[in-house]
Amino acid sequence: MTYLLTSLVNGLVFGLLLFMVSAGLTLIFGMMGVLNFAHSSLYMLGAYLGYSIGRWTGFWTALLLAPLAVALLGASIERFMLRRVHRHGHAQELLLTFGLALIIHEIVKLVYGPYPVEYTIPTELARTAFNVNGLNIPLYRLFIGAVAVSMFVSLFLMMKYTRVGLIVRAALSQPLMVESLGHNVGFIFLLVFAIGAALAGLAGAVAGAFYPTGPNMAEDLGSIVFVVVVVGGLGSLEGALVASLAIGLLTTLTVGLDWTLAGALAPLGLSGWAASIGGPFSITLSSLTGSLPFIIMLFVLLVRPAGLMGERA
Amino acid sequence: MKLYVRIALCLATGVVLLAPLTFSDRYANLAIRMLVAALFASAFNLLWRQARLLSFGHGVYFGAGMFAVVHLMRANEAGLNVPLILVPLAGALSGSIIGVLCGFVATLRSGAYFSMITLAIAELIYSLGPRWQALFGGEAGVSSMRLPSMGLSFAALNEVYLIVLGWSAVGFATIWFFAKTPLGQIAFALGDNERRLQFLGYRTHAVKVYLFALSAALSGLAGGLLGVAAENVDYTVFGPASSAAPVIQTFIGGADVLFGPAFGAALLTGFGNVFSDVTRLWLLYQGIAFVLVVMFLPAGIVGSLLMGKKRPLREAIANTLAVLLCSASLIFLCESASILLSDSYSSLRASQDGSWVSYRLFNMELAPGSPIVWGLPLIAALTGLIISWKLKGREETA
Repeated sequence: MTYLLTSLVNGLVFGLLLFMVSAGLTLIFGMMGVLNFAHSSLYMLGAYLGYSIGRWTGFWTALLLAPLAVALLGASIERFMLRRVHRHGHAQELLLTFGLALIIHEIVKLVYGPYPVEYTIPTELARTAFNVNGLNIPLYRLFIGAVAVSMFVSLFLMMKYTRVGLIVRAALSQPLMVESLGHNVGFIFLLVFAIGAALAGLAGAVAGAFYPTGPNMAEDLGSIVFVVVVVGGLGSLEGALVASLAIGLLTTLTVGLDWTLAGALAPLGLSGWAASIGGPFSITLSSLTGSLPFIIMLFVLLVRPAGLMGERA
Repeated sequence: MKLYVRIALCLATGVVLLAPLTFSDRYANLAIRMLVAALFASAFNLLWRQARLLSFGHGVYFGAGMFAVVHLMRANEAGLNVPLILVPLAGALSGSIIGVLCGFVATLRSGAYFSMITLAIAELIYSLGPRWQALFGGEAGVSSMRLPSMGLSFAALNEVYLIVLGWSAVGFATIWFFAKTPLGQIAFALGDNERRLQFLGYRTHAVKVYLFALSAALSGLAGGLLGVAAENVDYTVFGPASSAAPVIQTFIGGADVLFGPAFGAALLTGFGNVFSDVTRLWLLYQGIAFVLVVMFLPAGIVGSLLMGKKRPLREAIANTLAVLLCSASLIFLCESASILLSDSYSSLRASQDGSWVSYRLFNMELAPGSPIVWGLPLIAALTGLIISWKLKGREETA
């Protein structure tokens, strides 16, 4: 019971963090057709900038400044690099962001070294929120969750009820029509890219203090974020939320389970035979946690290619 | 091209390709790696050049070939008697089997989705790698020994180079010939317009699976050749780095030219081997070069040399000068930053009361406080940028 509860809280928080990063990615993908390989690198930059700025200004100011800096970087990537290669097609744009991810990884290693930096939680949040059966839930986990939820709510309200959101949603499905109605679609693209980058930066600055801030954090999260976008459906914010929560919960819930295929065959009386073969039969579910998102993604692509809430395949 | 120029070119290529037979182990090893990378990149590019499918997970098929070959060599040690020259075929075989399985799933979709599925498959295998002890050997990997065969001891790598050269030639010939077959032509059409091909009655999914399997088989062959030379392999071969390598090499070389990927792969492997001894920033320079090529030379190096419009000699020289100035100052600044930000330099500073002590770079004693150290590279970079900007302006008015 205690295991279930802590796993639920951890899974929810990890899922919400995944959502913060994938929200920008799915918006950019849905709107511009660009699969941004560098998006999780922007998340990593957010964490490192939060750490660097925080050493001068303190945690809270850094939490504001780091996403702004990342947004600025994202905007200049869109304006000066992506727009240049746009006429060569989506594949060229994808390659460009792929190269940018490599460069950002190397620059971070150059500036901060190959080991994680000491980005820590501010003292006012380094407390226990509540206690369940002797297990402490840190307040900072709840803070990460609260930031993500408020972000989702404000993004959702903005997309649904403001004029800007209306135009963005229109540009998502019919960019040419929106352009001929006199809206500056290029500027909308720039705005969406910058907002997406800012969200990734914010997620990095918030999560980097809790999870390790190292040069591999982009790589570790990057492919899972792709999974979220595919499973949730192209350009769908709600889909991204559902998929992030599902994957966050699933990966944390399975971490403690030592079920094996051999064990599953026990009712048939075959478990001894399967365990003797070893290999895939004796891999425990807990050690498959890292692979689980990719198995889910392959399954979803085969069964429902458009994703959970996507409209187009 | 005149006939004697052709003959001279062929002779020169032959000499360059056969020279490693006389090399010592260090350089024979480099030659093997260059050839293997060239074959791997060309195999990867089968998918992109013809069907416009961009795979980010080709390390899987390369690794499958490598593991198959190392396991076969272990079986050889245990008494199975497969001649060493046929051993790389096991790599091609296992690559094609895995390729059919993964390719069937991945080619259900095209475009960015295809890229993401290949990436997911690679991540899946990479995350499973350390768990499956019997097959992948865990963290330590699997090792084996080459056994003498057909009168050759294969103890030195220049003898192994003979095998690598032979099988690479077969691989390149297959790639060249495949483009001329009807199936190869349909694959080209698939890259242009898949929907139209479907209307014409072709089963495009089957074509894509064939193409994927061929590409994976040749990647497995390349991996198998490396397996024969390296004699050991661990699961990190499935990691993101080995899937990224052919992408980078192919697009720097030139993806739409038959031998562009091979050129890019040989060039970058050679440079990487030389420079990674000198600098620890080689991957950064490679990434920057990749982004610059994607932005300014979409046809790649070979592609722009072959297909680009002829420039007057003066402009070509000015362009080269601009590139040289910019890259020299970039390298200087990056190397300086790498030294000044290192832990050893900061502990040196701490021992000297926090003053900016001078550092050594390229056999020069440099003071971080002096304006010349930073001003000169900046001026050089600025000059380079102005030259290329002027050239571009002239191009637009012409």
